Amino acid sequence: MNKQKDNIDLRAVEAFLYDEADYLDSGNLDAWINLYSEDATYWMPVSEDQQDPLGEISILYENRTLMQIRCLNFNHRLAPSFETPVRTSHIIGNVRLLEVESMADFTVRSNFHLVMYFQGEQELFAGTATHHLRFIKHGRRTGFRIYHKRVDLIDCAAPHKSIPIYF
Amino acid sequence: MRLIDADIRALVEADRVHRKVYVDEEIFQLEMQRVWKRAWVFVGHESQVKEAGSFISTTIGTEPVVMVRDKSNEIHVIYNRCGHKGAKVTNKPCGKTPMFRCPYHGWSYNLDGTLNVTPHKVGYEDTGFDKSDTRFHMGKVARVENYRGFVFASQIKEGVNLEEFLGDAKATIDNVLDRAPTGQIEIVGQALLYMHDCNWKMFIENLNDGVHPMVTHASVGDACRKLLGQLPEGASPPPEAEIVFPFGSSYEFFDDMGVSVMPYGHSYMGGQSSIHQDYSDVEGYRDKMVARHGEEKTQQVLAQNRHNTTIYPSFTIKDAIQAIRVARPIAVNKTLVETWHFRLIGAPDALLHRTITYSRLINSPASMVGPDDWNCYARMQEALKSSSNDWVDLHRYLGREEIREGDVTRARGTSDLSMRNQYQAWLTYMASGNCDE
Ligand SMILES: [Fe+2]
Repeated sequence: MNKQKDNIDLRAVEAFLYDEADYLDSGNLDAWINLYSEDATYWMPVSEDQQDPLGEISILYENRTLMQIRCLNFNHRLAPSFETPVRTSHIIGNVRLLEVESMADFTVRSNFHLVMYFQGEQELFAGTATHHLRFIKHGRRTGFRIYHKRVDLIDCAAPHKSIPIYF
Repeated sequence: MRLIDADIRALVEADRVHRKVYVDEEIFQLEMQRVWKRAWVFVGHESQVKEAGSFISTTIGTEPVVMVRDKSNEIHVIYNRCGHKGAKVTNKPCGKTPMFRCPYHGWSYNLDGTLNVTPHKVGYEDTGFDKSDTRFHMGKVARVENYRGFVFASQIKEGVNLEEFLGDAKATIDNVLDRAPTGQIEIVGQALLYMHDCNWKMFIENLNDGVHPMVTHASVGDACRKLLGQLPEGASPPPEAEIVFPFGSSYEFFDDMGVSVMPYGHSYMGGQSSIHQDYSDVEGYRDKMVARHGEEKTQQVLAQNRHNTTIYPSFTIKDAIQAIRVARPIAVNKTLVETWHFRLIGAPDALLHRTITYSRLINSPASMVGPDDWNCYARMQEALKSSSNDWVDLHRYLGREEIREGDVTRARGTSDLSMRNQYQAWLTYMASGNCDE
């Protein structure tokens, strides 16, 4: 497995994570959602050791359909909370490979700091993101795809104000 | 300024309330003394403290308390305040312990709050210090009662008992338990904790506000419609659609749901119809219900569709969705809203999964519904500082189509009746002196 790790181009993985963050920060949600596979899930648990996204509440747990609805709702002109648009800035670091099934199927974890400007206030979030990635060869769409993303906020169990964004 | 009862009465009229009730610091402090001490406030569900020594910490108004089960199986609600120097004894949201021990000077307490040990006893000898004096205990909240697992507390010794206080709201709790094939429920997982920049009453009043969803939540319906439009022809809509779409229902739909109010400020919308009425059947559930209740009663139980039974001032429960929400006031402009979820023991997991999905879509800080409510409350909290107009309107369907049936009054679903009813209860609590006086 370590050998496999050595074969993965960590710089390419980092570049992929930076692209994802950049799509979110620039509001390019069409490009963002296309980084996800059709059967992808996106999970933000409410406790650090949470294992069950279906039978226990989470801050966020979405399949592709719900992600699409949320993207369509994002900055919607009829939503009072988006009368003034939300803005974010990500910093991603400490990128490290976890489980490596193969060069085309592995899990990568990174740390993030995210600053959000929303409803006139600036707020700081921090935590880890765990991406399960696969490399897909498909013509012009060749590249990594996210099969599952888990976002663990360091204060996931704490009271939060509105969180209208992806991380 | 010291407010007398007449000043407080002047804040509430038949068709409007003074903006001070939402933004005035002194009113907030009085509410903590008068409303939140007198009323039966929801503390927790007994399934949160299953074993001897299990506890949760929470608040009643702004008072920190602990709900704990002792070794003889009794549930106590005690103040989370050391009887010595007043430190908060436990900072844990929940846990299990044989006793409580204050980390400051080491005073320890039994699970009923009585003082167990003070270290280095010699210094208290011949000082008149009496360990059995309740002033040195983690004090007991004056009254604790449990209605079918739901634990409420009142901080005054005298007053109506919990069952009388709940009145017809009991029927919602009864229905929830009837929906469990074993007659039992249990809380699952952590709560969602959603911090609101608003007065607690804005959240409570919104629970039975049937005239806002089609406006405040218009974007969600629109987003759903757009998504359905993108689906390939013949594709079936995603199962989540049945949860989100009713939030865009028409004024007429909400009017027909109706609103019912009762003494002590409680109310609910719906009854026969609600935004939960068209949920698809969960396989295997009905059979289990019929096995318990028989066909006729199963039909009755599942036909009851109350939307947000609001038990004033702290608590709301639904029947078709297995979630409760609790308002915990923090400051005049700050309110913590907790959402807890429960399993109907014996029912298929798919029912719980639907509730969890509902709550993520509607109640979570990251949902597409709650944040727009949040935003509107924060707008009111900010603009009600303006003295350009002192009054907040409660006119809708005033005195029109109100039907009295015993203790319950019903009206059209977009009526402001539930808010008018809440302010009558509010006045009863607020304009009758302090508890200690
Ligand atoms: Fe709402």
